[in-house]
Amino acid sequence: MPADYAIETSNLRKIYRSRWRRREVRAVDGITLRVARGTTFGLLGPNGAGKTTFVKLLLSAVIPTEGEARVFGRDVHEPEARRPVGYLPENHRFPTYFTGAGMLDFYAALSGTSPADRKRLIPRMLDLVGLDRWGAVRIGKYSKGMLQRLGLAQAIIHSPSLLILDEPTDGVDPMGRRHIREILGKLEEKGVTIFINSHLLAEVELFCGEVAILHKGRVALSGKVRELIAGKGYRLTAAQVPEALETVLRERASAVAARDGVVDFQFATRDEANEAIDLLRRESCAIESLAPTSSTLEDVFVRTIGNGGAVAAAPAAREVTA
Amino acid sequence: MTATLALLRDTFREAIARKIFWGLFGLSTLMILFFLFVMKIDIVAGATASISLFGFRNPHAQDAGRLVRGVFAGVATFLYSFGMFLAVFASAGLTPSVLEPGRIELLLSKPLSRWHILLGRYAGNLLVVLCNTVYLVLGVWLILGWKTGIWSAAFLLAIPTTTFIFAVLLAAVVLVGVLWDSTALSIMITVGLMIVSPILAQKDTMVKLLSSEWSRQLWLALYYVLPKVHDLGHITLSAIMDRTFDGWMPVWTSALFGAAALGSALYVFSRRSF
Repeated sequence: MPADYAIETSNLRKIYRSRWRRREVRAVDGITLRVARGTTFGLLGPNGAGKTTFVKLLLSAVIPTEGEARVFGRDVHEPEARRPVGYLPENHRFPTYFTGAGMLDFYAALSGTSPADRKRLIPRMLDLVGLDRWGAVRIGKYSKGMLQRLGLAQAIIHSPSLLILDEPTDGVDPMGRRHIREILGKLEEKGVTIFINSHLLAEVELFCGEVAILHKGRVALSGKVRELIAGKGYRLTAAQVPEALETVLRERASAVAARDGVVDFQFATRDEANEAIDLLRRESCAIESLAPTSSTLEDVFVRTIGNGGAVAAAPAAREVTA
Repeated sequence: MTATLALLRDTFREAIARKIFWGLFGLSTLMILFFLFVMKIDIVAGATASISLFGFRNPHAQDAGRLVRGVFAGVATFLYSFGMFLAVFASAGLTPSVLEPGRIELLLSKPLSRWHILLGRYAGNLLVVLCNTVYLVLGVWLILGWKTGIWSAAFLLAIPTTTFIFAVLLAAVVLVGVLWDSTALSIMITVGLMIVSPILAQKDTMVKLLSSEWSRQLWLALYYVLPKVHDLGHITLSAIMDRTFDGWMPVWTSALFGAAALGSALYVFSRRSF
């Protein structure tokens, strides 16, 4: 019976201890996460949050201090667990003595692709990533964007069921990014699970169905992107608000900002905004404006990380995806 | 099998790109050309009628078989000393290079065990040196055989023995490489092993000279534990020169050292986070 989850981690922990001192760094601190088959999942977090270490734990490149990680139900320590995985590392260093075609041939062979299949697939992959005329050129001559596209080709040449991409559009121009998104979109349609580690929140918001935000080695927030950014609300701006009423409204609002005698209240629902207007008018306060608002993934991210990593007040926020 | 071949081919490709393969090949070719064009030996009725080097004739005619064996012994000595130094210098970077961040993660993400990756690299490195050794030894053997009509099969022993010594030293290179990712340190330690080998081999003399018991024991312990490059070279030279030698102990103790170094390298590599 096939596993329900492409990725499953349980209390995964990686602690780096310096050899001579007792100081320790908790790069990944007890992450329990599940990524369902066929989803596009974004891993977010500030620098040093543990994202890359987590990805390396999934590939068994980093040995965990505690906990376990499974890919399609298999322990990641088993080499076979990595057969259905395609991976594009961050800051990759492909050997420059390869040509584009040579590099694809090497990594596809390591993934177990037969010589006949490699011969058939290499031109197709080069064409797919727009490098069909560069296959015979040494990759030392490639630009960063071209290397990134070639890296993507090596990650998908063996038709993986799970694609793990660490900063996939790093160094790629806007047209190249769109091209990569299109390729990933087609893979998603085919049911490939795509796990992206990225700093580019707008891109993750655009592409991923689910995200997890890591902070200090822990999952600070995770859930469906649609639900996380559905923090729709209303911004009510009022002037001459008495102090007592402002205190009452501060308790009801999700956010408040005061400046030059004007107060901005953020309410989650229309009813709350209307009740606030009634109260303000009863006290003869001036209503300056009322505008609907929606949050972006960046807002969610900033709220979460700004909150010290505690679960943010997003309506669909969950500690762990189930 | 596909993955193993890919790993071997990759090591070859890197050795060629780093000019390691062609450097060793060029040096071997020079030596073969030396015997082909520069050294002239005339044999008459089993004895050396004349021998000349760069056109200068040596008046001391000798027994032809002994002379050819002497030349073979000279080539073998070159292989064990200068050739081995060159091989270690040239290939010491091939293990740390594969451990570079951004490269090793991608290799580890493939469905291969870690021992498969490291042994693939080790075997590829060994093959590079084996190819060059076969080319040099076979080339010199064929040319001297063709020129003199004397075919000394014992010289061909230099192929397995040189490869064996390199395999033992390469295990040390790989161990240092996976421990510290340092090409320079790999070279220093391995060359150190080669330099101390002839010194430690003087154990009979040193045991008499050393005053304390512990220093004698230490000397002997080091001699038996470390690879015996000097003694292995001596065994091959004895075989070529048709002399007797004192048993195979240097072979199996060196093999043990190589196995322990390679085993330790595999253990460290399997436990390391990248």
